[in-house]
Amino acid sequence: MLKMQHVSKIYRTDLVETHALRDFGVHVREGEFIAVTGPSGSGKTTFLNIAGLLETFDGGSYLLDGEDVGRLNDRRRSRVRNEKIGFIFQGFNLIPDLNVFDNVDVPLRYRGFDAAERRRRIESTLDLVGLGSRSKHIPAQLSGGQQQRVAIARALAGSPRILLADEPTGNLDSLMARQILELIEDINARGTTIVMVTHDPELARRAARSIHIIDGKVSDLEPFDPPAVAIEARASA
Amino acid sequence: MEIRPILSALLRNRTGAVLIALQIAVTLAVVINAAHIVKQRLDLIGRPTGMDVANIFEVHSFDFAGEFNYRERVRGDLELLRNMPGVRAATVMNQVPLSGGGSSSGYFREPEREGPEVAGNHFTVDEQAVDTLGVSLSAGRNFRLEEIDYMDLDNVDVDSVLVTAAFAERLFPDGDALGSTIYSGGGDPLTIIGIIEHMHGSWVDWEELDQVVLLPVYVEQDFVRYVVRTEPGRRDEVLGIVEQKLSELDRERAVRGVRSMEELAAESYRGDRMMAVLLTAVIFLLIAITALGIVGLASFSVKSRTKQIGTRRAIGASRFDIVRYFLVENWLITTGGVILGSVLAVAFNLWLVRTFELPKLDFIYIPLGILALWILGQLAVLGPARRAASIAPAIATRTV
Repeated sequence: MLKMQHVSKIYRTDLVETHALRDFGVHVREGEFIAVTGPSGSGKTTFLNIAGLLETFDGGSYLLDGEDVGRLNDRRRSRVRNEKIGFIFQGFNLIPDLNVFDNVDVPLRYRGFDAAERRRRIESTLDLVGLGSRSKHIPAQLSGGQQQRVAIARALAGSPRILLADEPTGNLDSLMARQILELIEDINARGTTIVMVTHDPELARRAARSIHIIDGKVSDLEPFDPPAVAIEARASA
Repeated sequence: MEIRPILSALLRNRTGAVLIALQIAVTLAVVINAAHIVKQRLDLIGRPTGMDVANIFEVHSFDFAGEFNYRERVRGDLELLRNMPGVRAATVMNQVPLSGGGSSSGYFREPEREGPEVAGNHFTVDEQAVDTLGVSLSAGRNFRLEEIDYMDLDNVDVDSVLVTAAFAERLFPDGDALGSTIYSGGGDPLTIIGIIEHMHGSWVDWEELDQVVLLPVYVEQDFVRYVVRTEPGRRDEVLGIVEQKLSELDRERAVRGVRSMEELAAESYRGDRMMAVLLTAVIFLLIAITALGIVGLASFSVKSRTKQIGTRRAIGASRFDIVRYFLVENWLITTGGVILGSVLAVAFNLWLVRTFELPKLDFIYIPLGILALWILGQLAVLGPARRAASIAPAIATRTV
């Protein structure tokens, strides 16, 4: 699903060069739920940005869903982001002036779906995250957990191949964090590949596999071992 | 299109948008009415005069010696003027058309001031006046040399006249003016021997400006106003030496007042021209202020929505999608403004019509104004929109 080899990323200013990723390699298989951990400044977010085509990289190769996405132009990268990748941000990143329905609608409009198809997808994903009755609320009228659920619905509405989550529970209290994590696990159980960046070891343990990044390099790879709950959920589906 | 969500976002955060829409509304109302007035003034200034304005000038001769023969003076001066290289024709007139100075009186179809009265701006001329002014006769004939008489200022008495078609139509709506007798306010009978197709008189703001009567007479006095027409493009050349040439002919007089008809007309239309210039400046100023307002609002909007734009990019918006978002948003604000502005423009015009008796607005100005403001809005927002489109999608994952 996601394969990076020898990827490097250097941030340059007039005075300094910062090697955010160096000889970075990772292979995420379809249906996996992996956690990416590491201390602050280790390169976790840079990895996530490159994986999500939010940034380009300087060297190496990156295959996403079998496609070499390293040389795509900006327009094509936008298209791939829209069709194949769902994002969950630490700060939810909802559009404050739009209600829940319209927030989930944003990527679907860029996708070019017709109104009926968009409505079907929005209602179905809002039901999935348990916010079917809140579609007319604006973000400020929702709790942090609910806002993150809206963000998850927005990420899922386009049926992405992979979900990239950047500290998805970082701004939530423990109860809401647990609920969000359970939701993410449920989504993974339905077959969506998930890559979650976190510096919370507790959270990382819930993933099937963890990648630890230090100084822009993968320091530790754990074997792919889907959790039992995910296998059960997939079998019952 | 994203019209509904953009509109709903605008309505939730409406202060800036409403202010800009109001500014657009006021701009449209003022610009449309100002443009209407400017066009009206320019039409006034540019309307056909019927004369060869560009090649005509006047020059005055004033005798201060006290002993001079008017007839010899005029004969000699006209001979000199008419034989100067570049001169096409010259005449003596009491006033110059378009100059703001002149005389008029009422004319009647019946003696004893009976029947309808039509005002006519009259000029005393000789047989070269038609050629000097560059006017055309649509019917009848010009004055003959022998018809030109010499008279005192207080005792002008002629038999024949040339009148403009506008004058003839007003006094003879049935079209039988040529050959007819008309009567001046003093009761003198005058036969219309020729009809001038079109000619403007002295006062550019007079409603009956094109009702002109030419009288075949030299009015004997110590002041003589010569009107000269040159070959095309030679006016300034002749105008530059005419004073000297006339003075050389007789130094016992003052030759002065050399002025082109263009200059005289420009002076007469100065108020209209000033009005047009001022209103044009107001139009450009308002448009510039409105454009700056739109740029300001859009720039503020981009700056305050950086994270939101980055998020949109992250979840699939292309650069074009971001530019389009701002263009559509601006189009919605502008549309709100122009709808209100159209109503304001009509109301403003009604007030102008009632208060200053201005003509009613030509409604073509409204769609033209709307189109202009739509284009202005889109151009003004393009810069900020392009800046927004250049925001990196990675901004979405930044927590500070």
